[in-house]
Amino acid sequence: MSEMSPQTGAPASGVPGQTAGTQPSTARPLLEISDLRMFFPITQGILISRHVGDVRAVDGVSLSIQRGDTVGLVGESGCGKSTVGRTILRLYRPTGGRIVFDGQDITTAEGASLRAVRRSMQMIFQDPYASLNPRMTAAGIVSEPLEIHGVGAKSERQQRVRDLLATVGMDPSYGDRFPHEFSGGQRQRIGVARALALHPDLIVADEPISALDVSIQAQIINLLERLQSEFGLTYLFIAHDLSVVRHISDRIAVMYLGRIVETAGSRELYERPLHPYSVALLSAVPIPDPVVEGRRRRIILTGDVPSPANPPSGCHFHTRCWLRERLGNPERCVAEDPVLRPLSSGHQVACHFAEEVDGSAEQVLVTGRTPAPSGVAAPVPPPTAPTRPSPRPHDRG
Amino acid sequence: MSLLSIRDLIVRFRTHDGTVYAVNGVSFDLDEGETLGLVGESGCGKSVTNLAVMRLLPSPAGHIDGGSVIFEGEDLLTLDESEMRDLRGKEIAMIFQDPMTSLNPVLTIEEQMVETIQAHRRVSKSEARTRTLELLGMVGIPQPEARLKNFPHQFSGGMRQRVMIAMALALEPKLLIADEPTTALDVTIQAQVLELLGRLAAEHGTAVILITHDLGVVAGMTQRINVMYAGYVVEAAVTGDLFARPRHPYTVGLLHSIPRLDAQPGEPLIPIEGAPPDLRFAPVGCPFAPRCAWRVDACWQTMPPLDPIDSGRQFVATGLRATHRAACWNPPTSEEAVAARPLRVGFEPAAPPAEVRA
Repeated sequence: MSEMSPQTGAPASGVPGQTAGTQPSTARPLLEISDLRMFFPITQGILISRHVGDVRAVDGVSLSIQRGDTVGLVGESGCGKSTVGRTILRLYRPTGGRIVFDGQDITTAEGASLRAVRRSMQMIFQDPYASLNPRMTAAGIVSEPLEIHGVGAKSERQQRVRDLLATVGMDPSYGDRFPHEFSGGQRQRIGVARALALHPDLIVADEPISALDVSIQAQIINLLERLQSEFGLTYLFIAHDLSVVRHISDRIAVMYLGRIVETAGSRELYERPLHPYSVALLSAVPIPDPVVEGRRRRIILTGDVPSPANPPSGCHFHTRCWLRERLGNPERCVAEDPVLRPLSSGHQVACHFAEEVDGSAEQVLVTGRTPAPSGVAAPVPPPTAPTRPSPRPHDRG
Repeated sequence: MSLLSIRDLIVRFRTHDGTVYAVNGVSFDLDEGETLGLVGESGCGKSVTNLAVMRLLPSPAGHIDGGSVIFEGEDLLTLDESEMRDLRGKEIAMIFQDPMTSLNPVLTIEEQMVETIQAHRRVSKSEARTRTLELLGMVGIPQPEARLKNFPHQFSGGMRQRVMIAMALALEPKLLIADEPTTALDVTIQAQVLELLGRLAAEHGTAVILITHDLGVVAGMTQRINVMYAGYVVEAAVTGDLFARPRHPYTVGLLHSIPRLDAQPGEPLIPIEGAPPDLRFAPVGCPFAPRCAWRVDACWQTMPPLDPIDSGRQFVATGLRATHRAACWNPPTSEEAVAARPLRVGFEPAAPPAEVRA
């Protein structure tokens, strides 16, 4: 169990210090990755395989996660978000860059030292049908990490498994059942219990709810939020669904074609998206309210995501960018890689022309909020918002 | 007269594990040019209902055990297979979720589309080819001429779905059934495809049944919505009405359990506890009762009819004045719908009768 759990409770009245939780603080982050690259080789030939290129799944990603925070990683399929998660857990050996977990460089860790680090980071997978061994009982699945790491005697492990099942809201007596006897939501609970078994600090949740029925998704989201406040967990929440990511995350990083294009606090990202891709992504998410939908305008991106084996030069997004078109297709977007640069506190954008997005008609259209129900006091306040008085009750009120 | 009128449709699957009660008496109407959303979770019967309309239920397990499907005055359930084949594609077309498995991987796009057109129209090959080009251009495939000789695997997911839409609209059907057309697509591509689908349907006056689990998709695309649960339509209303004044506990639960992009951060989700029922058991009472906070004793005994919630008004089945109906013995009030729980003093959900508890 981690010695410090920064958000053990009382979201009651505004704790001003807590607001800064969305900003990168000076404290040492639990996880810091810098310029991470993960290329997968493309080979040709049957007997002698020649290296003919690379799928640049992750192409220079930097990200840091503070202890106790939830960072959401969003993007469309093929943008590399899952590869980032898997590389952090060192399921792959990165092509380049650095991964520092809790002060320890694990970029090239191997064998016993890697295994020791992996105790502190666990994963929850997307597909609760494929990620549980069909021939093992629920109790066997949850206790396997304990056995691998030699935790406790058998009787202690059995007790721990019962506790874990109860923690995730399952009847401990179900432990001797097999995965096929459970519904999708219950299976995902078993997956969560397995991830919790070793008291990890960091949990990488890779699309943990997208395979579940709509009415079950909220159960798992609420469970993850409760466990976070109970155990002081840190989450990297990977998903394609912006609404879900926004709900659960303190900070959000938006990925496109192997790179992070924007990172901001989750409220800030929604109220003031500054990358043309983020604006388009936000505008594309349907909102379950016909009144809002009737008023919104979508920015329809033309074309498809280019192949990560052959990404466009300069800014990866320039082939589909609505802003570039507006600005008369400046050469800079094609010639020069945009770096992730801070535009305001805790808000970084990788776009040469991000200033043009701010206040643009597109940004207003996407963020233009319903006046009454959302209860925002001022009529769309100038969204530079370090002086937000509201508490952040993200650890579920 | 409605374009499509389904009455008391019952569909069962006879499997090795026993009978699956997939659709348990579904009725609804659809007018020409109307867009209807069918919303529900996997296994609620929304797809099976439409496969029954197309008479494409998997054989030999799937059986239509009752009801009628009147399309332009004719009961589709009484047609023989050749009459039905004549109607599919020409009168009623369908788009499926996965465009990869619904296109033939060993035929080029040209071959598939020309085949579809020639199967129903007496046109020459070159005329069919011209029409194909026109259709591919219409759905926004760049350089359609160059793409004709491509195979499905050479297209991206969004492009394949565009090809599917082009094929579905090739014969200008009166009814288009779109079964989760964008579920396999990324959100920016989903926006492209939905925009295209909505625009083309409006231009051609095609009626659309849009099947989806995503309440966000139907909110912007449909005029009316039927919410389905465990093989029943549990609520039917004009789209705006359904979202503003949901009257079935399941709809209320669904609306509270999805995070909204425009919600205040930190607003808690209120999940629906439990899981959908196992359809291998014959339905007794309301299938939502075990998960419902509003249940009363009657819910365990009898499935409530899909009745108008404002009785006294004249009943309207279709169009923008369609009557709001909910199948519920104890519908939530509007305050309760907002709170997502019963607010009546001292109300407790009815305990299950002894035989259910066992």
